[in-house]
Amino acid sequence: MSVALLILIFTPLMAGLLSLVMRNQRALERLQCLLAVVLWGAMTLVVSRVASGSYFSTGFLLRVDPLSAFMDLMLAFVGGTGLLYAVGYMGEKLIRGEMTLKHYGRFFFFFNFFLFAMLLTVNLDNIALMWISLESSTLAAALLVGFERTKSALEAGWKYVILSFIGIALSLFGTVLMYYASERVLGIGMEALSLEALYRVASLLNPAALKLAFIFALIGYGTKAGVVPMHTWLPDAHAEAPTPVSAILSGLMLNVGLYALLRFKSITDQALGESFAGPLVLGFGFLSLTVAAFFMLIQKDYKRLLAYSSIEHVGIAMIGFGVGGPLGVFGGFFHMIHHALVKSTAFYAAGGVLLRSGHKGIERVTGMLKRFPIAGIGLFLAAIGLAGMPPAGLFVSELLIATSSYRGNPVLTYLFLSLLILTFGALMYHIPRMVLGNTTEKDMPMSDRTRYFMTAAILINLAAMVYGGFYLPRFLQALTVPMTGIFGARIEFR
Amino acid sequence: MAHSDIGSQLVNICSMLLLVTTFAIVSQRRLSACVDLFALQSVFLAVTAALVAFLTGIHHIYVAALLTIVIKAIIIPLILKRVIERLNVTRELVLNINIPASLLICGGLVILALSVTQPIKELGFLLTKDSLAISLAIILIGFFTMISRRKAVTQVVGFLVVENGIFLGATAAAYGMPLIVELGVFFDVLVAALIIGIFTHRLQDTFDSVDVSKLTGMKE
Repeated sequence: MSVALLILIFTPLMAGLLSLVMRNQRALERLQCLLAVVLWGAMTLVVSRVASGSYFSTGFLLRVDPLSAFMDLMLAFVGGTGLLYAVGYMGEKLIRGEMTLKHYGRFFFFFNFFLFAMLLTVNLDNIALMWISLESSTLAAALLVGFERTKSALEAGWKYVILSFIGIALSLFGTVLMYYASERVLGIGMEALSLEALYRVASLLNPAALKLAFIFALIGYGTKAGVVPMHTWLPDAHAEAPTPVSAILSGLMLNVGLYALLRFKSITDQALGESFAGPLVLGFGFLSLTVAAFFMLIQKDYKRLLAYSSIEHVGIAMIGFGVGGPLGVFGGFFHMIHHALVKSTAFYAAGGVLLRSGHKGIERVTGMLKRFPIAGIGLFLAAIGLAGMPPAGLFVSELLIATSSYRGNPVLTYLFLSLLILTFGALMYHIPRMVLGNTTEKDMPMSDRTRYFMTAAILINLAAMVYGGFYLPRFLQALTVPMTGIFGARIEFR
Repeated sequence: MAHSDIGSQLVNICSMLLLVTTFAIVSQRRLSACVDLFALQSVFLAVTAALVAFLTGIHHIYVAALLTIVIKAIIIPLILKRVIERLNVTRELVLNINIPASLLICGGLVILALSVTQPIKELGFLLTKDSLAISLAIILIGFFTMISRRKAVTQVVGFLVVENGIFLGATAAAYGMPLIVELGVFFDVLVAALIIGIFTHRLQDTFDSVDVSKLTGMKE
């Protein structure tokens, strides 16, 4: 069974290496589609196995518990549609002559490596190896952000490199401190870094060292998750990266950063209760939501608008985890996975708009519904979802988080809801104008193959978004119960 | 000193030398001198690691010490020197914060590091009890360098100083992370340095400058 896990993690790496040497456009694209299918298949096996109650590990390095399986589900699903989309989007750039076949192959190498590093990160049992893997994904992402080599892409890439290195260094120090605390209990060696062992002995760890470790991890991994005030790389990187990369950065990378942060939080929670880490996470969550809500109002570039919306949604998920309790934690996780779905859909559609119109100005784009229907529909539905309206699951999770925060402190709930109204206003002000109406702009020509790939990616995501908004599948229920359990808050379904 | 054991004194002296070189980097305007000082700091780091390995008999720390010499004292400085030559920049002309003020702030950061690590100091091994505070001080000063300087190369040196600080913390306070972890970290640092090299190259080509303050196209 662990074969499925190994396939899930290492096929992207193999595919990446293959794309580096392939010099045939069609074969390269077939390889990427095949990879998407393999990812989905392997993910289904892994998730169904874990949901049926048997966690498994392959030796001492890889271990899948429900939280890892949950991340696998998210990464493989959105990663798969991301691959289909990337074939469409980057293929169009190739056809237009904006890049060479060599660069095309190189793009997919970095892209696949990026997916590999993220999948590896969430399945590692060892917090230091988790750090190394996350750092590798940062390096791949930095090259992807600067991939188009324009002035602004390089500027964004440089900013991303420097800020994420600061973040990653802080989280390494947090990891060292965790080791410092745990080797008193578990002895020198790999076991003192193992998540499983750390959960087992959490209550014996030195509280002062644990607190310090958590603070470093919060700021360090928070930088990767785009938490304010360490978010300044995010809008630039999301706006300047090639659109498939923006979608993956926003939908997946931020969540992987959050995942690492949550691992530290769960250990801290088990040792010290929710009262230490909770308020810190809650505070950063509110700060992110507030800053993002105001910046969303003034955006002139639709990719930047979506980028700030990502900061907002990471903030909301953090509020859920910060408030805590079964509802809050469940709401946070539900928010993470639905945000991954909806935001990647939004970026897929925004990439369609970009290919059609050739620029990123919100003001100048109109009538997308007529000019490129699938992008128009995708953008509109995703905006509705991001604004927190049904049928998207974000409606459910925001409701859950608001409810659970009301039990703690009603003032927080009022603040939370007013900020949500602000972001709702920003999205509903900007997006419908882009989608509806007529236009005098000239359309850029677009090949049929690009259209097919984009349509496939957007439709698969939309279908999952609507399905997940109405039903909570049984396997997700089965995963969620133990997932909330590691934060000391066990949810029950009746 | 709480303990007069010669071994721990030696480790302390070496850790202090690391801190001193960090201060020297802060007070230095010439880019190539900054890189040299970083190489020197890495040598001190390797000596500290070797000392700890010798005194504790944990052999894998020797490997880490050797890797520090090869990667941080030789390869990375060579890469940076080459970048400096190609970019034709030798001095940091405009500083965000002038040098005397920088040094004062760094002194403050050392005090901060000492007070933050005070509560967890007692957890440490007898041999290296004071090194955790020093390592945190080096990390903070490294960050300060990244923030206060404008040239891409000095920012990179700041980042590498931070890495050295973390490594000192891991070696001295926890007798080193397991070997596989350290290998992974070294590999990542090396790749990071290469990527930074690529980026500075491209920045130079596109902006005709590695002055980061010119990167203002996306201010809000």
